[in-house]
Amino acid sequence: MNAVFRKLQASATQQAFVLNQALTTCRATPSIQHPVWASVNERQYKSMPTHGIGRWRYLLPKDPPKKKRDRQQMKEIVVETETTYATLNVNVSGYDMTVVEHFSQHIHNLCNRLGIKVLDCYALQTKTTEVWLMQEQGTKMSVDSFLKTHNRVVQLRSLNATMCPIFLEVLLKNQPEGVQLSVQEHTEVDYKTRFKGRPELEGLKAKISH
Amino acid sequence: MAAPCRRIAGRSLLQFLSSFSRTSVSNSGFRQFSSTSVCRGSRQAQHVEEIASSPWTLMAAVCLQRLPVISAESNPIEQQFRDMMSQMEFEKSMMSDHELRLLDDAEKMRRMQAGEYDSDEEENRRDQEIVLAQDLEDSWEQKLKNFQPAARVSDSEGDPGSLQRRLSDSLLLLVERPVGREKLWMLPQTEWQRGETLRETAERALSSLPAASGFKATFLGNTPCGVYKYKLPRAARTESSVGTKVFFFKAVLSDAGAPPATESPESSLLWVTKSELQRYVKPAYLMKVERFLLGF
Repeated sequence: MNAVFRKLQASATQQAFVLNQALTTCRATPSIQHPVWASVNERQYKSMPTHGIGRWRYLLPKDPPKKKRDRQQMKEIVVETETTYATLNVNVSGYDMTVVEHFSQHIHNLCNRLGIKVLDCYALQTKTTEVWLMQEQGTKMSVDSFLKTHNRVVQLRSLNATMCPIFLEVLLKNQPEGVQLSVQEHTEVDYKTRFKGRPELEGLKAKISH
Repeated sequence: MAAPCRRIAGRSLLQFLSSFSRTSVSNSGFRQFSSTSVCRGSRQAQHVEEIASSPWTLMAAVCLQRLPVISAESNPIEQQFRDMMSQMEFEKSMMSDHELRLLDDAEKMRRMQAGEYDSDEEENRRDQEIVLAQDLEDSWEQKLKNFQPAARVSDSEGDPGSLQRRLSDSLLLLVERPVGREKLWMLPQTEWQRGETLRETAERALSSLPAASGFKATFLGNTPCGVYKYKLPRAARTESSVGTKVFFFKAVLSDAGAPPATESPESSLLWVTKSELQRYVKPAYLMKVERFLLGF
C-alpha cells in the first residue's frame, strides 16, 4: 500500500509539474490549445541527457499580442509612386444575396490568384425597399413587396496600374445579371458609414457641450 | 524617348466604373508594362525635358469593346448540371411563407366544405383573408404570361456594322484606314502629340472618328495593354522615321448614342468578335492584338 501511495504522490507531483509546464507554454502561445496529459506513467529522467527531448514549443516564434481591432483604414499614399492606385473599394450590390456573395467571393479569389493584395472584405448594411404598386383599375389597391439590396465590398490595397485594365475587364466580363459593380476610392466617410450611430453618447456629448 | 509625365485631372463618374484621380503614368516608349523606377523628379518640376529625337513614330490606339448584353448560352453539360443542381436544391429546401399559406388555405377550404369545424373560427378567418394565396398566384401567372421577352438573336446577326449583333459576345471596334497604298482594317489610332499623355491620344483617336461621334467610352486604365511595332519597308525608311509603335488602350462602351444619320461608305465601322478578327486584320497585327483580348 505504501508503494501505491508513493506512486500516487509521484504521479500527483508529475501532473503538477506537467500542468505548470502547460501553463507556461500556454502563456507564451495563447492561441494553441495545450493537450492535457492524462497518462500517469511518464517519468521525467532529469539527470539523463535526453531530458526534455520532445520539447518543440520553445522553438516557435513568439507572436506579438493581438492589437484591438480599432485601426484606421490604411490608405496608401500612392500619388507619389505613380504606379499604384490608392485603396480601392470594389462594391458589389444587388437584390439576390447568393449571387452577390458568390460574385464577391469570386473577386476575392481572383485577387488572390492575380497577386493583388486584399485589405478587407466586408458587407455593408442591407437596405430594404418597399415597392407599392398602385392598381389603376378602379379599386386602387396597393400591392406591396419588399426588395432587399445587399452590398459587399472588397477592399484592394495598392492596385498596380498595369494590372488595373486587365482586372477590371475580367470583372466586367464575369459580372452576373442583376448585380451592379462599382469601383471607388476609399475615403474616411466610407469608413464612418459602417458604424452604427450612438444616440445616447451623442445626447450626452450635447449635454456636456451645453 | 520619354514623354513628360503629367497629372491627369479627375474625370467624371460614369455608370459603373469610377474615376481614378491623380494617377499619372510614365510613357517611356519601351515595351515595359510594369514600370519599376518611375521618374519622380520630372513630376515635381514640370519642366519639359530634353526629349531625344527617336526614329519611331508613336501612336495610340483604342481597343473599344461592347460587353455582352445577355448571358451566354450554356453547353448541354452545363444545362444538365444546372437542372440537376436546381432539382437537388429544391428537394433539400424548406417551404416558403407563400407555400405554407397555400397549404393552410387548402386545408381550410377542405374543412369548410366538409363542414366539420366551428363556424365561429371560419367567420373570424373569413374577415381577415380577402385574398387567398391561390388567387395571388394566379394573378402572378397571368402577369408572367403577358410579359414578352425580347428575342435573343436579333435580325442584324450577320451584318458586321451593326451594334446589335451577337448579344452574348463582346464585340471589338475596327476601322479601315489607308496605310501606304492599301486600305487596312485596324483599331482606331492617332499619332501622339507632344504634351499629352498616351491615354489622351487614345481618347482623341476615339472621338475623332466621324461615325463614332456619339460613343461614350470608359477607359479602363492609364496604362496600355499591348504594343504593335511596325517597321517601314526599307525603301521608305529615312533617318528620322524607322517605323511606328502603336500602344493599345482598353475601353468599354457605355453608350452608343444615336446612330449616324448619313451613312458614309468611306468611314465604316466594324464590330467583330475575337474569332472573326482574323478575317479582317493582317496576321502580324492580329498576333499582337489577340494577346490582350479576353474571350473568344
